[in-house]
Amino acid sequence: MIYMDNAASTRPYDEAVDAFTEVSRSYYFNTASIHSEGRKAEKLLGASRRQILDLMDLGDYECVFTSGATESNNIAIQGVLETKKQFGRTVLLSEMEHPSVINVAEKMKHKGFNVEYIKTTESGIVDLDSLKYLLGNDVIFVTVMAVNNVTGSVQPVSEIVEILKSYPKVYFHVDATQAVGKVRMDYSGVDSLSLSAHKFHGVKGAGALIVKEVKSMSPITFGGGHEFNVRSGTVNLAAIAAMAKALRMSMESLEENRLRISRYNKSIREAVSKLPSVQVQPGGVPQIINVSYIGARGEIVVNALSQREIMVSTTSACASKLSSLNETLMAMNNSPDVVKGSIRISMGHFTNDQEADKLVSALNSVYKEIGGVLK
Amino acid sequence: MNYDHILVRYGELTLKSKNRKIFVDALRRTMIQTLEPFGVHVKANRDRAYIELNNADPYKVMDALKHVTGILSVSPVVKLEKTNAAMQKNAVDFAHEFQDGSTFKIEVKRADKGYPLKTFDIQQLLGSHVLENTEEITVDVRQPDYEIMVEVRQDAVYMYREVIACVGGFPAGTGGRAILMLSGGIDSPVAAFEIMKKGVEVEAVHFHSPPYTSPQATEKVKQLVDIISDRTGVDIRLNIVPFTELQTTIYDRIPQSLSMTSTRRIMLRIAEKLASRKHAGAIVNGENLGQVASQTMTSMHVINRVTSFPILRPLLTLEKDEIIGKAKAYGTYETSILPFEDCCTIFTPKSPKTKPSLEKVEGFESRVDFEPLIDEAADNIEVYISNTEAESESFESLL
Repeated sequence: MIYMDNAASTRPYDEAVDAFTEVSRSYYFNTASIHSEGRKAEKLLGASRRQILDLMDLGDYECVFTSGATESNNIAIQGVLETKKQFGRTVLLSEMEHPSVINVAEKMKHKGFNVEYIKTTESGIVDLDSLKYLLGNDVIFVTVMAVNNVTGSVQPVSEIVEILKSYPKVYFHVDATQAVGKVRMDYSGVDSLSLSAHKFHGVKGAGALIVKEVKSMSPITFGGGHEFNVRSGTVNLAAIAAMAKALRMSMESLEENRLRISRYNKSIREAVSKLPSVQVQPGGVPQIINVSYIGARGEIVVNALSQREIMVSTTSACASKLSSLNETLMAMNNSPDVVKGSIRISMGHFTNDQEADKLVSALNSVYKEIGGVLK
Repeated sequence: MNYDHILVRYGELTLKSKNRKIFVDALRRTMIQTLEPFGVHVKANRDRAYIELNNADPYKVMDALKHVTGILSVSPVVKLEKTNAAMQKNAVDFAHEFQDGSTFKIEVKRADKGYPLKTFDIQQLLGSHVLENTEEITVDVRQPDYEIMVEVRQDAVYMYREVIACVGGFPAGTGGRAILMLSGGIDSPVAAFEIMKKGVEVEAVHFHSPPYTSPQATEKVKQLVDIISDRTGVDIRLNIVPFTELQTTIYDRIPQSLSMTSTRRIMLRIAEKLASRKHAGAIVNGENLGQVASQTMTSMHVINRVTSFPILRPLLTLEKDEIIGKAKAYGTYETSILPFEDCCTIFTPKSPKTKPSLEKVEGFESRVDFEPLIDEAADNIEVYISNTEAESESFESLL
């Protein structure tokens, strides 16, 4: 099996799994217990927190552990809008956001908020002129992802921080789920960012919301007051320690992976761009490539590759309420045929040379197999 | 601006000509220890120190020096060749950072009286050169927005714009040694900073009564010791005294209304023992006149009677909000307010006497032989040295 769906989830590092089992075995205590073992667990939690903040180069920030980026995005949007509603009612987000952002924002319309979408350029980057146009007195919240999950495009986070300096009441949230461990970005100045462990070879069920000012959040679920009273619920220490380990390993191998995966990216792009009726989207991080077999449906290509034991994904799997077709690709001004026929190939730390070569030949043989239906 | 040095001005020690060498040596040692992580070079002269930055961030280095006692102020400086051209060029570099429409002046100190230009000439030279090479800024000698300060010294010219005030006082260890009673509350850490300002070396003492006090309370005191040590650049020993046996004995044998007074007296007796052993000259605490029952003047008198050592109370007359303000500035406040009991609440009497009678206290205490218990407590002290419990240490293999 060749796994090329790392943007959906990754295979955890063996070391992260080891950390998970070791912590589950030896530190199964509740981090809120006051006995000495509970305090040990709490210290491990604190050490994980610091390690993650240091690795993100956000030492002055606070790290709230969650179950993953979906929960982090929910807390950031709902929790901050609740505290900021007296200053305005408008929320701006890019059209390319993940459903865990778009669907939450759309839901907030029922609570009296206006939601407006920042336009996207054809290369899949958020349009800063559109952002400047939309910014006004009523805007209290802006959210733009760091790296797009469909095309891999890298968004201009620090430029947005710069623009928002003139709008001090605006809170800026970044969904960095697809960026962390793949690309080094400067997040200084953002108000919060989300991350998910299983996207960088940690285990599932752990994530974080990293916030500049934890007091700006009001909780959206209520309970025993864990995690700065922002996210109550017994802390998943084993998965969190594994996340800290996975982040360290990802950061240590980031540069090497970037160079190696860039080579694969180049050869895949070269191979498919020779095929008529196949279109490759502009990219960003080397790990993600979006390819459309115009005239086919993405599922067909996914199935054909799956028969060849290569796992990729369509980009419509995570469709949100806003559109039945993938928002990112539509926002980039692609025709519906291009969007319907698209697949996402996403590589990771464990992708190797042979797998990349096999993918290239499989993409060619799939083309031969289904070429008859392409336009 | 590419600052290459930090200029350090000494505090009150400039007054003490006789002890200057001892003072400068002490300050040099503290600065070297504090700045160790930055990879800088400390050169402490008779009258001031220069820290060669070797590309370290000047503002982080200055922040680390903020609570080092004996430093009056610091400035990030550029060290220049002693030529008119070098001064002119650098003055213009400074001025390019000024906002449009602002005003400036040139301030010159000409310590090297041999320099060919006089003070006024240097001002003229630099002022006019800046005006010629910039737009939108003008000179205002009375209330300028910016000042460019130029010091012409024997070895070089130093140019800077900012003077950042530090804590002042005397260098660590030049003012003798004292025992600091550290409870873990807001006041006693502030008392530590205040007394250390005077160059006093402190050795802290903390009383715990497990299981009636929580281990977190002791952890918290260790953290406070770490903070004080980090900010002042001085290692601190914390003596943790096992107090349970004494606490329960007092509870059993002394009437409730006087138990708090007795508790303080016994603690002070242990502190005194420690003071003698450590050749300390005084005992320091965070008491504040009239704040609580143990800190009325009568209480202080009755408690004080067990020792002949001077008890120094740097916070004696401050308002509570002044103390809180200081705790926040020193960085101990957030830790101090963590909700762990410093002194077991179950032993706290409901209505302690604000005017305890010395005669009665001595009478009740005389019926109990505390001395062996006090010796035992003093002999079983656990010592913690600041910053020796790096938390993440043991988790290295997991993370």
